[in-house]
Amino acid sequence: MKVVFAAIILAGALVVAFGSPVANEQPVRDFYYDAPDRILPMSFAHQDHVPVNCVDCHHNYVDDTGGGLCMNCHVTDQSVWPLFEQQFHDLCRTCHEEKAALGEDGGPPRQCMACHLGDDLP
Amino acid sequence: MKALIATFLAVFLITFLAAPAMGGGWYWDAGNALGFAAFAGLLYLTITSSRRLDVRAHQVLGYGVLFVTTAHIFWFMLGDAAVIEFMKFGAPDYMWHGIVSFLLLGVLITVALVPDRFRVHSDYPAFKYWHRLLAIFTIGTATYHIVASHFYLGTWYQGALFALLAIAVAFGRPWWIRLGQLRLAHIGAYLAVSAAFAAAFTAIRNLP
Repeated sequence: MKVVFAAIILAGALVVAFGSPVANEQPVRDFYYDAPDRILPMSFAHQDHVPVNCVDCHHNYVDDTGGGLCMNCHVTDQSVWPLFEQQFHDLCRTCHEEKAALGEDGGPPRQCMACHLGDDLP
Repeated sequence: MKALIATFLAVFLITFLAAPAMGGGWYWDAGNALGFAAFAGLLYLTITSSRRLDVRAHQVLGYGVLFVTTAHIFWFMLGDAAVIEFMKFGAPDYMWHGIVSFLLLGVLITVALVPDRFRVHSDYPAFKYWHRLLAIFTIGTATYHIVASHFYLGTWYQGALFALLAIAVAFGRPWWIRLGQLRLAHIGAYLAVSAAFAAAFTAIRNLP
């Protein structure tokens, strides 16, 4: 049993180190948006979110907390950068969950890869 | 068998108390269902442990729980490449708790086997004490992994109920030992029940 357990841990460590041998696409962490640390790429298509009120995400239009792209503040402002992952997960996931719970056409919460492959969508 | 089904029902029903039809797609839901089945197996192993325990059946069922836990982990690691990124330094604490829980489960099983048990523990009471303590930590870290992730337990009362269930199993030994020695389910039955609950969980959340 020790050997089996050690083999499982070794296999897991190899997958973490070198990636999944069966998954088609692998996300690559990098310094996207001039982030101070390597982060995962993110997919977000405005064209898929047209029914959503802009200020639901672009809070700066109503609370005057900055301008420009989301990432201008969220990766460069040291007061919010530590919360980057949590804030974006909460924002995206909560919205999708709420819409799904209400039976609205919002798309369900989804597996990680559905959001963490970079894209050039507008 | 009744206790096995009841344990699975308790674990899975809590996830359906709010937004029962909400899912993240069949792949994600099936992988998480395996995790819930592994957790239910862990609770069942604890509930059925008493003085007249069938040690061999307990041991074999432990292998079953380790197998389902391993399936839960590799399902995501192999199929959703982004999950790997959440198993590295900087990952959310609930992911680390999941990893620690899996390692504790492995240690719980391997150290309980002879001859390693004799190497680690001087006598049987010492082994029982540490085995139980390790099981409580395994349940605790697994519970945190599940509850803090908020997947399928999005409301405060679902999280509280799930935590209460884990606490009742981990610390309620004086109470549930009064149930007498429950006959342990066969590993085949545990795997079949796991597959059935995982299939139902996935279907409910994905079928139109």
